[in-house]
Amino acid sequence: MAEKGKIKTLDQLRKIREEAKKAMDIREGKYEYKIVVSMGTSGIVAGAREVLRAFLDAIAENGLSGVMVTQTGFMGSKTIEPVVIVEDKAGNQVMYGNLTPEKAKEIVERHIMKGETVKEYAVRAPVE
Amino acid sequence: MIYRAYVVVCEGTACVASGSIKVRNAFLDEIEKRGLSEEVKVMKSGCGGTCELGPVVVIYPDMVLYPKVRPEDVPLIVEEHLLKGRPVESLILHEITGKVVTNMMAYSFFAKQHKIVLENSGRISPESIDEYIAQNGYEALARVLTEMTPEEVIEEIKRSGLRGRGGAGFPTGMKWEFTRKAPGDEKYVICNADEGDPGAFMDESVMEGDPHRVLEGMAIAAYAIGDVKKGYIYIRAEYPLAIERLEIAMSQAREYGLLGENILDTGFNFDLEIRIGAGAFVCGEETALIKSVEGGRGEPRPKPPFPANKGVWGKPTNINNVETYANIAPIIRNGADWYASIGTETSKGTKVFSLTGKVNNIGLVEVPMGTTVGEMVFDIGGGIPDGKKFKAVQTGGPSGGCIPAPYLDVPIDYESLKELGAIMGSGGMIVLDEDTCMVNIAKYFLEFTVEESCGQCVPCRIGLRQMLNIMERITNGNGELKDLDTLETLGELIISTSLCGLGQTAPNPVLSTLRYFRDEYVAHIVDKKCPATVCAALYYAPCENACPAGVDPARYLSLVAENKIPDAYYVHMESNPFPAACARVCPAFCEKKCNRQKFDEAVAIREVKRVFADWALKDAPSWEPPKDPRKERVAIIGAGPAGLACAFYLTRLGYLPTVFEALPVAGGMMRVGIPDYRLPPDVLDREIERIVEAGVKLELNHKVDNLQSLFDDGYGAVFVGVGAHTSYKLNVPGEDMPGVYHGIDFLRDVNLGKEVKIGNKVVVVGGGNTAIDAARTALRLGSEEVNIIYRRTKDDMPAFPEEIEDALEEGVKIHFLVTPVKVLGDERVVGVECVRMETRGFDRGGRRRPVAVEGSNFVVEADTLIPCIGQGLTAGLEAQQELFNKWGFVQVDERTMKTSIPGVFSGGDAVNPATVVEAVAHGRKAAVEIDKYFGYEGVLPVPEREVVQTSYDEEAYLVTLPKSQPEMLPLDERKGFVEICKGLKLDQAIEEAKRCLHCDRPPEEIEEEEEEKEKVEKVEIGSG
Repeated sequence: MAEKGKIKTLDQLRKIREEAKKAMDIREGKYEYKIVVSMGTSGIVAGAREVLRAFLDAIAENGLSGVMVTQTGFMGSKTIEPVVIVEDKAGNQVMYGNLTPEKAKEIVERHIMKGETVKEYAVRAPVE
Repeated sequence: MIYRAYVVVCEGTACVASGSIKVRNAFLDEIEKRGLSEEVKVMKSGCGGTCELGPVVVIYPDMVLYPKVRPEDVPLIVEEHLLKGRPVESLILHEITGKVVTNMMAYSFFAKQHKIVLENSGRISPESIDEYIAQNGYEALARVLTEMTPEEVIEEIKRSGLRGRGGAGFPTGMKWEFTRKAPGDEKYVICNADEGDPGAFMDESVMEGDPHRVLEGMAIAAYAIGDVKKGYIYIRAEYPLAIERLEIAMSQAREYGLLGENILDTGFNFDLEIRIGAGAFVCGEETALIKSVEGGRGEPRPKPPFPANKGVWGKPTNINNVETYANIAPIIRNGADWYASIGTETSKGTKVFSLTGKVNNIGLVEVPMGTTVGEMVFDIGGGIPDGKKFKAVQTGGPSGGCIPAPYLDVPIDYESLKELGAIMGSGGMIVLDEDTCMVNIAKYFLEFTVEESCGQCVPCRIGLRQMLNIMERITNGNGELKDLDTLETLGELIISTSLCGLGQTAPNPVLSTLRYFRDEYVAHIVDKKCPATVCAALYYAPCENACPAGVDPARYLSLVAENKIPDAYYVHMESNPFPAACARVCPAFCEKKCNRQKFDEAVAIREVKRVFADWALKDAPSWEPPKDPRKERVAIIGAGPAGLACAFYLTRLGYLPTVFEALPVAGGMMRVGIPDYRLPPDVLDREIERIVEAGVKLELNHKVDNLQSLFDDGYGAVFVGVGAHTSYKLNVPGEDMPGVYHGIDFLRDVNLGKEVKIGNKVVVVGGGNTAIDAARTALRLGSEEVNIIYRRTKDDMPAFPEEIEDALEEGVKIHFLVTPVKVLGDERVVGVECVRMETRGFDRGGRRRPVAVEGSNFVVEADTLIPCIGQGLTAGLEAQQELFNKWGFVQVDERTMKTSIPGVFSGGDAVNPATVVEAVAHGRKAAVEIDKYFGYEGVLPVPEREVVQTSYDEEAYLVTLPKSQPEMLPLDERKGFVEICKGLKLDQAIEEAKRCLHCDRPPEEIEEEEEEKEKVEKVEIGSG
């Protein structure tokens, strides 16, 4: 349980609800931002797992909610691995390539928290 | 902690039983091993409804459902899905069609559901109050306590239209009001969680999957009723998991101050206690339940006084069922208007059903009231497995009744079910298919209620036992017709004189099956036959029981296995003189019931038959005509399978019948309806020759138009076997234009060798065997493009499935849900204007009803149109109008084949267009009845049935052995009318026959054998 003790008002109940909802929203696929990490074999070799962890850590450190981290298979270009797509709830996508855990942290702080596209890490979507 | 993915393992009772705890542990281990514990959370949920698929695992946020997960699947799912983000397609849920369901919300089972009661089940952790609160849990209680008066709460529930979900459907708001108004300052609320119907688990799932919802509903009820001292949840001991989850929920709620003293600081006090019952069915009845809560023996008492005035400890008590309470919080949160907008005029909201039995998707289903039975079975349930036919649904368990196919379109609500003689009950819904014996199922429910009767009332205790005795007699073949009246009288009596709901409803299953399936009872009593092949005392083997003509494959298979080919042939001839024809065209009812298919595949009975049938065509000695024939003369009109079978068995009874045939050839539809590539004419001619040799006079080219003339000529009895040789018309404009060739005429002309000219682009209309035969014949005549259009769906096609497959293979195209509206052209057909159909609901025949889509007209280019939409009798017997029914067929008593004219019998397509074997059955039955009509015994010289002993090593065949497939003519050689199927070789047939499981051996014999074996073993052990 989130906090011990008796609930005395409707507002207290609603506060517990907001907290509990955050965790559940992600589970149910509701998000403000979605970070999709490419986890093909080549991505994992290039360090995609470390990058994924770094995203999760940065989100937790900053106490963010509404950010979903998920993965997908190979995205089509080995030369820019590790690669992720950051998508907002309106569906706007930015692809970032050649990532490191440090760059991941920076993307969280700038893109997710401030809404700014981190131009220096952005890459063009690979041609299918 | 932020997790990027959740592995939610269902731990409802059904999934636990199929091993979900092992699966959850495997996920925990594997995720730990892969170092994902910080990213992926493994949690358990309650029942999500797809119980047949357990253990069920859902991976969020992807909403990917993995069914029937085994611990050994887990590493792959973790590696591929959780690590690499690739759902494991081979393990994901798929539709019956094979389509992979990538997002579980798109699964057809969920598509028509509307979840209110089950909104959280399977989604949240049932052991976390926070997750319940996250889904707006306890919001309703808080609002009620702070913003509403008790009267307002009652008013809201009344306006919502909620009715008791325990079965009787009493308005919940009114019940609360009665209890509120009852004098007294010590009142109680009780939750009836004594779910007792066999196969029902709605309440169990709610308590296991979302226990707080029940607590919240009860607390709101307590507030509305006022002066409530305590609440009880009365639950059966068989639900340990539900009890555990409820206890966890109660302690969490107390910790949060949502149960106990001074709830939400409003001064309102309410607490709960769980009372565990021993699972007696009668304790679901409220007065019995109250006694049991008090610690007494669960026996009902008369009402009034109702529990609202005098309940537990003699105090006013409100009793509702689990599902009723589970509806309360959403009604308060979303308002009465919202709730009342769902459902039908008299039944509001949703209802949870446990859908079980012979249906593809088994599980828990929540649908708006007013959903039709057909939608439940075919849309949500995904239809009947193995292509079997739907027969009925049983609702309300042992207190309910059945709803047969003609009522698939009936919306489900309290009133409509009652009108049909069924009840809503608590929501059990058992789907029954053609293999269910309705007499047996009624007996099963009666056994249950006899067992569960508390014994207080004599009618229930003794009367139900009497009814069961009668049912047992009937299913053992010792019933009498007057038993049916006794059952009805007794049933009505028990209903009107029993004290409680158990006795008042227990006769329902019998009464309702008597109402809709009386013919099945009569079949058990009069014919000593169980049509569904369930009541073991009434048949030797399923194959023999399934054959309309009563042919006995169980015996002839054993004979073939022993290479006794002639003996096998004579067994067949006892019941059917057309083994060679049937070996080629019979739909093989026997194989569809073969027990072997439960193990691997049915025995290829029809192909085994062909081996001895073809032997007989060449090598069997002729049948001797009767030496000292009877003096009575019998005329048979029509040399089809019915007429010739009648003629053959008349010779065995000592007659020398005359068969009059209008056509220049004998065989009826076998000759002029079935194309030569399925049944070669020389095979049929030889088979008919053998029948003629037995003492039949065959007069071809002799049409009979007047029955009286036959009697005038000295015939004492007549069998009318004229068949149905006239195609039904489409009744669309342009149908008489050159280029339109009606199916029966077309096939007849081709079969008679007439010069038949058809075009290159042929459109065939219809979905039966005639349509398929016409299409394949058109291809063989050289048409380049053959399209079949059919107004219904593929599942509704009456044609034999293997014929449809062959037609498709040969290049015929079939278009479903299309029907012609006009034939286009000036002098000749140039096209067909068609309209698309869609299905809307179900028709009285239990099939989806096709309805034309307005404005969807389109043109198919065609130079030939062949309508094959059914057939009727050819004109010729107008003088005997009294023979015919309103559909234009000859009306007979199906047990004697007698028509309304004395001495005139009929059968085959003239009575009801069907298969060769059914026509044969009619003809044989008529022969016996004709003999009786002349005052004789009507007994065919058939030896008494004996089980055929075999000498081969039967155990060697109790391993998986696929059905033998005969050699088929390669596609590129199917140009002319050469027979396609080449049959099995003798040695293949012998091997195939050895796959028989010998279902016809009486059980005693098996026991004796085993006793013998045991003795031998003992001796061996003793001597060792």
